[in-house]
Amino acid sequence: MKHNHSRERIKKMCAMLGEDFDSPACQSMQEQINACPNCKVYYDTIKKTVLLCQENDCAEKLPKEVHNRLLHILDLDQFISNK
Amino acid sequence: MDEQKIIERAKQGDKAALSQLVNTYSERIFNLALRILRRKEDAEDILQETFLTVIEKLHTFDGRSSFFTWIYRIATNASLMRLRKKKLVFQDLAEDDDYNDSVESRVFIDWTQDPAVNLYDQEVKMKIEEAVNKLSDIYRSVFVLRDIEGLSIKETSAILNITEENVKIRLRRARQFLRDYLSEYFEERVIHKNET
Repeated sequence: MKHNHSRERIKKMCAMLGEDFDSPACQSMQEQINACPNCKVYYDTIKKTVLLCQENDCAEKLPKEVHNRLLHILDLDQFISNK
Repeated sequence: MDEQKIIERAKQGDKAALSQLVNTYSERIFNLALRILRRKEDAEDILQETFLTVIEKLHTFDGRSSFFTWIYRIATNASLMRLRKKKLVFQDLAEDDDYNDSVESRVFIDWTQDPAVNLYDQEVKMKIEEAVNKLSDIYRSVFVLRDIEGLSIKETSAILNITEENVKIRLRRARQFLRDYLSEYFEERVIHKNET
């Protein structure tokens, strides 16, 4: 019985891992997650993983030469700025 | 001038209008491609390919979706095509039932409070890169659009032309895979630290 209960809780927790962490679905599971230490560690490490990936994001400012090459290829040379 | 008017002018061949669209979207498209392909040279190619497609197909844009969704769909598809052509080896993800069973039987170690888990550590950064690079195209695209770009489930579903339910399933599996990959490394560090 206990086994089924735990399995059900994990299944439910995993099912909502595709939602936003602050979504109502995740919020409503929070109490159940907190009541199960192993589930809580799993959930927290998922959240931390996403946070680390976001902080490690490789986005950057578009280099000017890349922008100018794009304008040239699109035959928009008159909009190339030399500033 | 609002975007719809700019698009209409660009459709008529107005170069100033087209350059406005380039100025508005080029940086976002470049970064989207960079996030998917992880290489600047590839991101530049995708940027050019995207706008060449925009010029070619702009007359077919009917405004049913937003221009943002439309151009993002072009750029995402181009990025994914390139990723597939690279013939990289991606990690196979376990089936959901098998995965749930394995979660149930495992004991997890909490590494979230370990001060060594930070991005000042080059090895940590490298591990994160490694993990994302293991994600195959279908999972990587959802992860990038949802968790990195911060787009909604609805927007992601429209860009990738998949159901919202599929967006959720793919995001969950991507997150679980990344967690497991990083945890293997971080847990070892925690255990090693506790032993010394």
